[in-house]
Amino acid sequence: MKALIRKELRENLKLAVLGFVVFTVLVVWSWRDYAVMMKDVLLGLRSLEGYHLQPVGSGLIFVGTAWLCVIFGAVLGWMQIFNERHRDLWAFLVHRPISPTQIFFGKVIAGLGIYIVAAGLPLVCFIAWAGIPRHVAAPFEWGMVLPIAWLFLAGIAFYFAGMLTVLRQARWYASRTFGLGLAFMVLLANVAPNWRFWQILVAMLIGIAILAAAVWGGFHSDGYYKGQPALGKLGLTASITVGAGVVAFIVFVLLANLIPNLFNSDRWAMYVMTKDGTIYKKIQGGRRPPEFVDLDGKPLIDAKTGRMIESEEFNRRACNTTSIPMDWEKPSLRRRNPPTFFTFWQATPDTIWYYWNRYGRLVGYDIATRRFIGSVGPNGFADDLSGGGDRFNAPERDRYPPVPLRTLRTATAIYRADLQNRAINTLFTTEKDETILGATDVFLNGADWDYTVVVTKRHIRLLTPEGKVVWKTPYNQAYPDYGHVRVSFLEKPGQCALWVAPPYGANKKAGWKLPTHVAWIDSEQGMFKSVDLPNLNPPGNGYSLRAKLLSLLMPPGLWAGIYLDDRPEPLELPWKLVLISLAAAAVVWVPLGLWLAWHHNFDIRAQLGWAVFHLFCGIPGFVAFLSVQEWPAQEPCPNCEKLRSIDREKCEHCGADFAPPEKNGTEIFAPLEASRT
Amino acid sequence: MNEQPVIQTRGLTKYFGAKPAVYDLNLEVPRGCVLAFLGRNGSGKTTTIRMLLGLLEPTRGEGSILGHDIRALPPEARERIGYLTEEHQLYGWMSVKECGGFQSQFYPRWNEKIFRGVIGHFSLKPAARVKDLSRGERAGLCLGLMLAPEPELLILDDPAMGLDPVARRSLVESMIYLTRRSDRTIFFSSHQLADVERVADYIAVLDHGVLRACCPVEAFRGSVKEVHLRFSGVPPALPKIPGLLQAFRTERELRVTCVHYSRAIEQALQALAPLQMEMAPISLEDAFISYLGERGEKSFILSETEVQP
Repeated sequence: MKALIRKELRENLKLAVLGFVVFTVLVVWSWRDYAVMMKDVLLGLRSLEGYHLQPVGSGLIFVGTAWLCVIFGAVLGWMQIFNERHRDLWAFLVHRPISPTQIFFGKVIAGLGIYIVAAGLPLVCFIAWAGIPRHVAAPFEWGMVLPIAWLFLAGIAFYFAGMLTVLRQARWYASRTFGLGLAFMVLLANVAPNWRFWQILVAMLIGIAILAAAVWGGFHSDGYYKGQPALGKLGLTASITVGAGVVAFIVFVLLANLIPNLFNSDRWAMYVMTKDGTIYKKIQGGRRPPEFVDLDGKPLIDAKTGRMIESEEFNRRACNTTSIPMDWEKPSLRRRNPPTFFTFWQATPDTIWYYWNRYGRLVGYDIATRRFIGSVGPNGFADDLSGGGDRFNAPERDRYPPVPLRTLRTATAIYRADLQNRAINTLFTTEKDETILGATDVFLNGADWDYTVVVTKRHIRLLTPEGKVVWKTPYNQAYPDYGHVRVSFLEKPGQCALWVAPPYGANKKAGWKLPTHVAWIDSEQGMFKSVDLPNLNPPGNGYSLRAKLLSLLMPPGLWAGIYLDDRPEPLELPWKLVLISLAAAAVVWVPLGLWLAWHHNFDIRAQLGWAVFHLFCGIPGFVAFLSVQEWPAQEPCPNCEKLRSIDREKCEHCGADFAPPEKNGTEIFAPLEASRT
Repeated sequence: MNEQPVIQTRGLTKYFGAKPAVYDLNLEVPRGCVLAFLGRNGSGKTTTIRMLLGLLEPTRGEGSILGHDIRALPPEARERIGYLTEEHQLYGWMSVKECGGFQSQFYPRWNEKIFRGVIGHFSLKPAARVKDLSRGERAGLCLGLMLAPEPELLILDDPAMGLDPVARRSLVESMIYLTRRSDRTIFFSSHQLADVERVADYIAVLDHGVLRACCPVEAFRGSVKEVHLRFSGVPPALPKIPGLLQAFRTERELRVTCVHYSRAIEQALQALAPLQMEMAPISLEDAFISYLGERGEKSFILSETEVQP
């Protein structure tokens, strides 16, 4: 096997060098990008806001790594087989005294070695550079590297998919590429919402193992399904099924876009408020312009045109509304790049400050030297990272549009950091036994900090940047059933509308009967009006036509990982759609699977197995079956005259043997002796 | 035969789609012989060889090679089988020496002397790149790579295909002088009947995927006879003759080629009342061409094709 590994390394040397150069260019480019950015910041030519300050989490390295790993992995795998795919050269490779498994491992060890050196080495060097203090003026944790590591792993999936594409002998030529579909799903796992790191790793490893098994099986049978070991057949079938599923999904999405009225006819409504404090319903969706009606359902007419108001005009009249993120809301896991680990906080002319989640403190770096300066916590500045152990609560993340936050908080106080002087000022302290549940800074005009909204179990307060209370209203009786708090800022300064709504789970539990409380509050007279609004879109009563049609087509087996409904949270399996999918599979695909297996003359166990496979895999399973199984040729049996399969020793109908070749009277046969002259 | 055949097949069949490429092949190749596997292009020779080596899954039937099932040939069996592909494909970037070095790593019984002997016979420079070699030189290199592990069984798939006469002669000489060993079996397909005549003990003939002949070379040549009959005018129509391969009618002559020439055939031909009837000598090549050529009677009578004024 060593000779084979050496041969593979030598054969793919040019590709390895090319890959190494390309990856090196990527990391050098990323490094240069960061160096230029920091230089510009130092010269005051560029603001830091909106930029990725830790290069290992930059968009350039993330997107670059994704593309390059995918392309390099697939090309490397492809080339390792393609180089030898000539029939005679393949025979030269295979006909040697080592097993197909050894040939597989010989190629894979060499291929992965090349991949690791060409792609991994530049990336590791880049990560090591970013991780060494004084190279980057930003926090570094090994966890930040995981997205790159997962992309690197996804490249391995594409490596096997590339091998499988060229190795597989397929009746349908296009189905050779289906392995890439599974690799694509492995790549997608990296950005799957609400998956934890270990879940992503497990999903990716399973995908890679399936592809590797399919390739391994191909070495036993020259790429044909028939003749492979059971594990190879399983891997190939799973790869092709997932690939066919990806194709089916793409076809469905294209159809959905071609026939928008059929697939996107659902509309939903939400409450909106104008600057004068009037509430309207906005009805949208279904690829039609939104409609605005009052609470009685009467359309809102634009006085200038005399027609129903258009979205653009309404947006001019709409007030600014801010949601307050509450502690009970789990932070989204969607973004695993540096915001999970740290948040840019503020920059002074010579320093840059971040909120570092691990320490719960603001940490500072010198822009010129990129060295760590110290940290700021609720008790003030400290030279080290942990200070005295005092921490702030994690600030709001993923805010859109992004704005630099100004306040930090603990359970009982709101703070404002004075980073020029490396000091902390207390803006607001709660009353006795009062805990802060959520707070947010309000920016009504761009980046100008206007207010801070603070929600405790007892009160909701609107504070000025100096900490002065603009208004205060009771809240404690509503929590936690009314956990969604929004504040709309009306035209008159200090006048607001407070929205207190039930979260999805609580409302569902109450049968969608919990209304939304709206209170109008003034800085002078306090709450002067309130109203209870009914739930507009009670979910669960029905699914969209799109979801139902899709569930008819989608295999039940994929439902476990897919949630198609538009509701954002909590994530739950739509059982009704799963049942539709199962019913469709039971009515259509199971009989079809049984018939196919019968037609291929499989024994009863195999017939049942394929029926179950079709039950869970639906259309992709059907396509996969036809892709991997040779369509059984038949010819008339000379004995019973029924069509019989050519690949059976005896007729499946009457048990007769195949007829020997017809004699034509010219046959010449004589015994062959072992000895010769 | 006391020994188990080196190659044995029972009803070996391969379909491509609904078309049979090899049908119900029953073959036994004894140890120590040289068997030429003959047939026209597309007759199923390469398919058979690929099935025998486990490179192609048979549709049905079974086979064994050196006592091992062809569907699961273990590495130790492959070590004992040398295989030369028809297009002599090798890694173009390797040098002749590197090819030998690469191949030797897999074969514990690798004989460097044989390898050097063969490449010397073909005047190959060790430093020459495979991609720069001529077809004949590549064939020589492949032969060296095949022979150096000292296999018991050699399977050569049309080894002289595409070679010029000089390279072909060189290859045949190598086969004669370097491959002959009393316990070595050689199974080769070829279209070069002169080579077959020089090298082979036995021949097996495939016709459209069906084995029609399997016998010693002499027995094959002895079974195919050509008879020349002369007439005073246009030869009469030929009666139905068992074993007829070809009949060729000219204005005063009828040439009949058939197998299993017998008294009954002789009498049937005598009944045509020829002026003269004689048995013509036939070479293996002619016998083979007649055997695999278009069957039946052909006429070529100029007087019948002339345009009358």
